[in-house]
Amino acid sequence: MPAASGKRFKPSKYVPVSAAAIFLVGATTLFFAFTCPGLSLYVSPIIPAYNAVVFLFVLANFSMATFMDPGIFPRAEEDEDKEDDFRAPLYKTVEIKGIQVRMKWCATCRFYRPPRCSHCSVCDNCVEVRSCRGLRSPPRGREPREHPLTVPHPRQEFDHHCPWVNNCIGRRNYRYFFLFLLSLTTHIMGVFGFGLLYVLYQVEELSGVRMAVTMVVMCVAGLFFIPVAGLTGFHVVLVARGRTTNEQVTGKFRGGVNPFTNGCCKNVSRVLCSSPAPRYLGRPKAEQTVLVRPPFLRPEVSDGQITVKIMDNGIQTELKRTKSKGSLEVTESQSADAEPPPPPKPDLSRYTGLRTHLTLATTEDSSLLGKDSPPTPTMYKYRPGYSSSSSSAALPHSTSAKLSRVNSLKEPNSICDSGHKPSYRSEPSLEPESFRSPTFGKSFHFDPLSSGSRSSSLKSAQGTGFEMGHLQSIRSEGTTSTSYKSLVNQTRNGSLSYDSLLTPSDSPDFESVQAGPEPEPPVGYTSPFLSARIAQQRETDLHGRFASAASPKHAAPREPSPVRYDNLSRHIVASIQEREKLLQQPPAPGREEDAGLADSGIQSTPGSSNAPRTSSSSDDSKRSPLGKNPLTRPALPRFGKPEPPPALRVRSLGSPDQPAAPHLGKSVSYSSQKTASQAGGPETEEVALQPLLAPKDEVQMRTAYSKSNGQPKSLGSAPPGPGPVPLSSPTRGGVKKVSGVGGTTYEISV
Amino acid sequence: LCPQVHSLQELRRSASLATKVFVQRDYSDGTTCQFQTKFPPELESRIERQLFEETVKTLNGFYAEAEKIGGSSYLEGCLACATAYFIFLCMETHYEKVLKKISKYIQDQNEKIYAPRGLLLTDPLERGMRVIEISIYEDRCSSGSSSSGSSSSSSGGGGGGAGGRGP
Repeated sequence: MPAASGKRFKPSKYVPVSAAAIFLVGATTLFFAFTCPGLSLYVSPIIPAYNAVVFLFVLANFSMATFMDPGIFPRAEEDEDKEDDFRAPLYKTVEIKGIQVRMKWCATCRFYRPPRCSHCSVCDNCVEVRSCRGLRSPPRGREPREHPLTVPHPRQEFDHHCPWVNNCIGRRNYRYFFLFLLSLTTHIMGVFGFGLLYVLYQVEELSGVRMAVTMVVMCVAGLFFIPVAGLTGFHVVLVARGRTTNEQVTGKFRGGVNPFTNGCCKNVSRVLCSSPAPRYLGRPKAEQTVLVRPPFLRPEVSDGQITVKIMDNGIQTELKRTKSKGSLEVTESQSADAEPPPPPKPDLSRYTGLRTHLTLATTEDSSLLGKDSPPTPTMYKYRPGYSSSSSSAALPHSTSAKLSRVNSLKEPNSICDSGHKPSYRSEPSLEPESFRSPTFGKSFHFDPLSSGSRSSSLKSAQGTGFEMGHLQSIRSEGTTSTSYKSLVNQTRNGSLSYDSLLTPSDSPDFESVQAGPEPEPPVGYTSPFLSARIAQQRETDLHGRFASAASPKHAAPREPSPVRYDNLSRHIVASIQEREKLLQQPPAPGREEDAGLADSGIQSTPGSSNAPRTSSSSDDSKRSPLGKNPLTRPALPRFGKPEPPPALRVRSLGSPDQPAAPHLGKSVSYSSQKTASQAGGPETEEVALQPLLAPKDEVQMRTAYSKSNGQPKSLGSAPPGPGPVPLSSPTRGGVKKVSGVGGTTYEISV
Repeated sequence: LCPQVHSLQELRRSASLATKVFVQRDYSDGTTCQFQTKFPPELESRIERQLFEETVKTLNGFYAEAEKIGGSSYLEGCLACATAYFIFLCMETHYEKVLKKISKYIQDQNEKIYAPRGLLLTDPLERGMRVIEISIYEDRCSSGSSSSGSSSSSSGGGGGGAGGRGP
């Protein structure tokens, strides 16, 4: 049915073009027949020749403008928008020469219309008469996809639809249209002028047929001259300004700056002198002659890239260490308490709590995890930024890449699901693993596999740089490299507070180490689930490898850990602070830092602001609601203070939401920063693991919506806004931030 | 590794399309055709970053050349005007020539670099110059179902062979 209706013959549409053609050809023919012989005889033969040339030019341009494809886009295939379809914002902003330009999502064509592209409402291509411009709801069924020309197509550099040529004027045929106007104006002027010459000079007898015809032709020419010349002048101005009719009429750049202009001369030359652009439709389909056959080559994976991100492990180890030191019992107990379901063993509960948080974070998991009591959020689903967008999410490490590769094998959701399950089930097994080998390490990665190496490094650091070590781990754990980095950079107050915690000697080291992985956006940031699953699969294998890899890795710049730094740091910092306090009664600055860190890492959940020190009960309360939240409502912003703001816990957020919010905003936005180039916002998913932190105070389930950048509708045209609001909206493709044990927050991509 | 498979099955070891990555246009410099050189995370484990970036940069260079406004394109326009555009029936435009070069380049890249890694580039022209579509293939042989099938067949073959050799 739709196909049939699409091809309905509408004669009314052809009236203007027919009239134009008739007038043009008819009048000119009469002119040549009646006026030119006399003129050529008595004035000069050049006149008809000149007029003939001009007329030919007019006809050629008229034909090209009428019959040439204006630059119709082929419809996007199914694959291209499968991520965008349900969560895509209506607009995606892109920066063109420093000016933000919005690209509108076209539901019919299923892509974001490139700048200056539009649908034509009148062309026969549209199935329905009504415009496709901005149409989001025409049921797909109404547009037959089999016939590209029966469905609406956007035109690039859409100027307008000209009824006189019955065609859209777009990028490809604009020059012909423009030349048609110019030549038609010239032709009209010529016909009128020479006719006037003929009449005035009475070349032949006045009352003859020729005279009458000439006078008629002159009248027609004179009549058409005014609108045509007006239109010509209008387009001359448009070409000089580098605008399209569409833009001029809709006033897009009125008073503003046109990002598409290159100056008058360049604009004119671009219109007239550039090589004609190719058409997209109707091209012969290129035969795919290249065969893809396995086995496939894989890129070399350096040791430094293999690190798996383990956020909780380091923290847990840290906690263990602190515990062993005897100065952080409070922290330990707190972490233990923080777990929603009080675990039999504090340590295990801590881990499980983390897992819970981790798993909770993932959207898919949330439902899954809800059943389990203390799921340790060792892995969270990370969905790599997809196509589009913008995905700037990068996987820092090859292993993560592997994980992501596994991810890519299936749909991200499915991966998460599968990831969830195994990770969930394997939690208990992972726990001891991670617990045993706390590798805090420079490359703090989510993978428990690296825990072995980390533990070794941690142990080595134990002597002197315990704080540094764990602080470093905190840092690295914080989040994906870039996210972490941005956290560090942005929330200087918060995340950088760790530096202050560190001894001066440590800080530079840390900073320098940090600097290494920082420039890279979080590449290879993989789904936590995958990493967990793979981790368990290859725990034994990789332990040795990581142990060896860890050392060289540590020498190299540390990979930013997916664990959110602030969360992790918060707890750890808190524990450190407490320890220090016990030793020296240090002032609250550490706490400040802690809070700052926590803030950044933690979403606005009030829990985050709690210092680990605060009563464990508060942790519990915080945690349980938090733990539940992600599970039950993954989509909900984790940030949102699900639970009543804890009394105090360390400032972490001690400073009430306000510092937290900016931090959060920052943390959120940095992900967007990273992918700042993309208008929508970063696709990076900040995966903040907080397995350790789960039991600890806040389960800050933060749904990082960093991922939302182009995808989630919530982002819409605005970049992810900092503060609690954006946090709440993340679900859209976003990342849920979960705060785990030890104050690490990780964002689980939904 | 794939288990030893029957000879026929070995020949049929094939790849299946896993997913597609889309490299979007880079509009930072206006509407000229440029693609983002940002490395998609999905390709992290499949291809070296540098190779990918080089491919995209070369493509961008080609497109810039196609859209270049210079002497040749100007002459082409004049010639076209002079012949009332009949010249387009015989001659292909400068842009088309560059597009042919691009198509050859993409095929070349596919053969040499991308296909061995289980990837396939699609000419952006087919997508309206909006995206570079990179298809990611996975080795079907490595999936569970295919491997189980192949292992059973191989075991069957081994048993038959042993029986034959016995007496």
